Amino acid sequence: MTDVARSPELITVIVDGRPVQVPVGTLVWDACEKAGVFVPVYCAHKKLDPVAVCRMCLVEIGTLPKLQPACATVASDGMEVRTRTEKVREFREGNLEFLLLNHPLDCPVCDRGGECDLQDFALRYGPGRTRRAITTKVHFNKAVRLSDKIVLDQERCILCWRCTRYYDEVTGEKELVLQERGVHTVVAPFEGRPLQSMFQGNLPEVCPVGALTHAQYRFRARPWDLRRTPSVCPGCSYGCNLNIDTRETEVVRFASSDKPEVDDGWLCDRGRYGSGDLNRADRVRSPEVRLGGPGRSMAYSEAIEAAATALASVISEHGRERVAVLGTPLMTNEEAFVLQWLAREVIGTPHVDHQLLPWTDLSPAEFSLGIEEIEACDAILVVGEQAEATAPVLTLRLYKAERKSGRRVSRVPGDIEAGEAARRIAGASRVGVISHERDRGLAAQVAAIAVASGASVGRLTITVGVNGRGCKDLGLLPNYRPGYVATAEVGLHGRGILEGCQSGEIRALLAVGPNPAVEAGADLDRACAAVQLLIAITPVRDAFWRHAGVVLPGRTIAEKAGTVTSSEGRVQTVRIAVHPNIAVPSEVGLLAGLGACLGAARPAPTAPAAVLEEIRTAVPSYAATAGGLRAAWGKLR
Amino acid sequence: MFRELLGGLRATARAMASRPITIQYPEEQRPVPPRARGRHILHRYDNGLEKCIGCELCAGACPVGCIYVQAAANDPAHPVSPGERYAVRYEINLMRCIYCGYCTEACPTEAITMGPRLDLVDYKRERLIATKDDLLEAWSGFTTMSQGVAPGLGRPASQPTPMGAGSPHSGPAGRAPGLRPVIPAASGDPADTPPA
Repeated sequence: MTDVARSPELITVIVDGRPVQVPVGTLVWDACEKAGVFVPVYCAHKKLDPVAVCRMCLVEIGTLPKLQPACATVASDGMEVRTRTEKVREFREGNLEFLLLNHPLDCPVCDRGGECDLQDFALRYGPGRTRRAITTKVHFNKAVRLSDKIVLDQERCILCWRCTRYYDEVTGEKELVLQERGVHTVVAPFEGRPLQSMFQGNLPEVCPVGALTHAQYRFRARPWDLRRTPSVCPGCSYGCNLNIDTRETEVVRFASSDKPEVDDGWLCDRGRYGSGDLNRADRVRSPEVRLGGPGRSMAYSEAIEAAATALASVISEHGRERVAVLGTPLMTNEEAFVLQWLAREVIGTPHVDHQLLPWTDLSPAEFSLGIEEIEACDAILVVGEQAEATAPVLTLRLYKAERKSGRRVSRVPGDIEAGEAARRIAGASRVGVISHERDRGLAAQVAAIAVASGASVGRLTITVGVNGRGCKDLGLLPNYRPGYVATAEVGLHGRGILEGCQSGEIRALLAVGPNPAVEAGADLDRACAAVQLLIAITPVRDAFWRHAGVVLPGRTIAEKAGTVTSSEGRVQTVRIAVHPNIAVPSEVGLLAGLGACLGAARPAPTAPAAVLEEIRTAVPSYAATAGGLRAAWGKLR
Repeated sequence: MFRELLGGLRATARAMASRPITIQYPEEQRPVPPRARGRHILHRYDNGLEKCIGCELCAGACPVGCIYVQAAANDPAHPVSPGERYAVRYEINLMRCIYCGYCTEACPTEAITMGPRLDLVDYKRERLIATKDDLLEAWSGFTTMSQGVAPGLGRPASQPTPMGAGSPHSGPAGRAPGLRPVIPAASGDPADTPPA
């Protein structure tokens, strides 16, 4: 035995004759996994506490006369675990026969068929025959709508309690309960009320069988139809990882992907069921030029030339400062970087933004708190409701910090007085202050009070859109260049640009859509109609598309390759899940092409990877972010 | 030499006396063996409900990937198939199909079988993608009812396709039914009846 074996925190467990070293307190199930021995489980789940109700993981341990549940037994030093004995095999077979006793065996119509643990284990460990006629099965309710999102099939349930435990332990909402006793036990909503949780979409994923299924995904595809692309949720800037499952050219579902540092394996319903937005029918498919006449579809190179010519004539007639550039927080880092290059280096205008509100009084403390570090704070203060409303998965992290680590979580409204808010976190040595971008002023005041009282304070600011943070980091702001280098001349922010369009101060607008951050708070239609020249790059028929003189088709986030930066500064990769049905280069290529036509001194790279290299050179904190690490904010100026 | 000549003439004379084995295809057609693996048929139950439940096991079993199925949820008031699920689109690319019959073996409800129809030719490739309209077995209920609702089906007879399926993807309209193969009299199985 090596030195490691004698160290106090590691013990040796022998699994099927194979010794493995695991930390003290490890469950036998985890020890088996480490030894490379698969133990089938239904009730056990990595994110939930053990209950040992399904009895599927029973193994032989040492000289104990009865089988023990691997998922709930803590390993001890020298413990001998046997998983392949005749006794275990016989037990698994019998257990599966019990589980399948009243199972309807309607796999062909079940949405889980093909990715179902009950199917897999029945094939691998099951008896392969039945002693009971299918006509004698006890029947329960099928296709019970628990809400507009979740469908419950009580017949298929194997009573592993994962769903009820998920509600108890992960969200704390307790909306599902077990009713009746014995063979009549069913999972049902509490008092028959429809589910209202923001996190219901995780239920079908924790369910090991097809009892809980997505209403949105119902009968839309089979697992073998799907192509899976790891990506980042486009719902908000929290940065949850997910898998985009596509069938042919359609995004059929978002499936969660466990990233413990960010989402901890969960998604919120707004993010998960937002996949339908990627299949919108009102897509812009070809470039269109409508300058002084009816719209004409043309090749993208001609459309870019037409746009550049029109833009150049506005510049020569009215001057560079009469041109504005409006990005969107839905852009990738690469697009944002090229867009600000186009605005500043090629067009030469200071008016560039991606959102409505000005972003001033910047401090590096703004994003000093990582999502993972929330659990390490003694006290956490959430300022304003908007933070959790924008990034719901944050709520699960806060509940975990409360429940698992006993942290103090306080929530204050956004219009509270700063001193009053700071009293909620008084006395804590390590404080986390979380707010939405909208409430960052108050959050900064609260943090200042806490710092003055001697606490170490970390702040997390939830930004707008999926890549609001990246747009800011990469200088899609009127007052900062990439890396938060202050500009000599401060241009108009988003609202100022739109007002300038109406007043005639801005004569030409280059806009990238869609921009929900802008659409929510301004009369975009009127501004777009008023401006003399509007060049729009947009994937959907939004306000920009309606009024544009030149339209270039954009791509949705499922059709893009690149990186996005989450609120905490994690630079994560998005990949092409669906190939776009347009013969037009990506936005990066379009913007670079536009720059070349406008006579850029130095051409911009057209490949996202090459742009990312430039970003890493231009913004030092992005240099070390390869592989999904956080951009170190302290180093930014 | 003389003997060989006689032998040849004898063969000719014998052939002249027998009936010709050539037939005037396509006006005449040979009987198709009962287990021939021709173009697929999607079957119905006696009450007109489709046997296919849209489970896609046929598509999963297909070695060449020529079957496309899109399922949807049944409206309980107007079901298309028994149970929760039915196939709203069912398409087979007959040019890619190798007629191996794995789909029929995979089918849990015996909804799909290989039929007797072998004359799979057309002037346009897209017509050789068989849609559900092409594949689905005819049901006497549609022709016997002039109007009203089919028993057990719940759809007005004015709608000839009860599946509501493939309306944007339906088979080529006005396509000539083509010649029907002659089914040997031995086969009394209604499943072997070619689609109308």
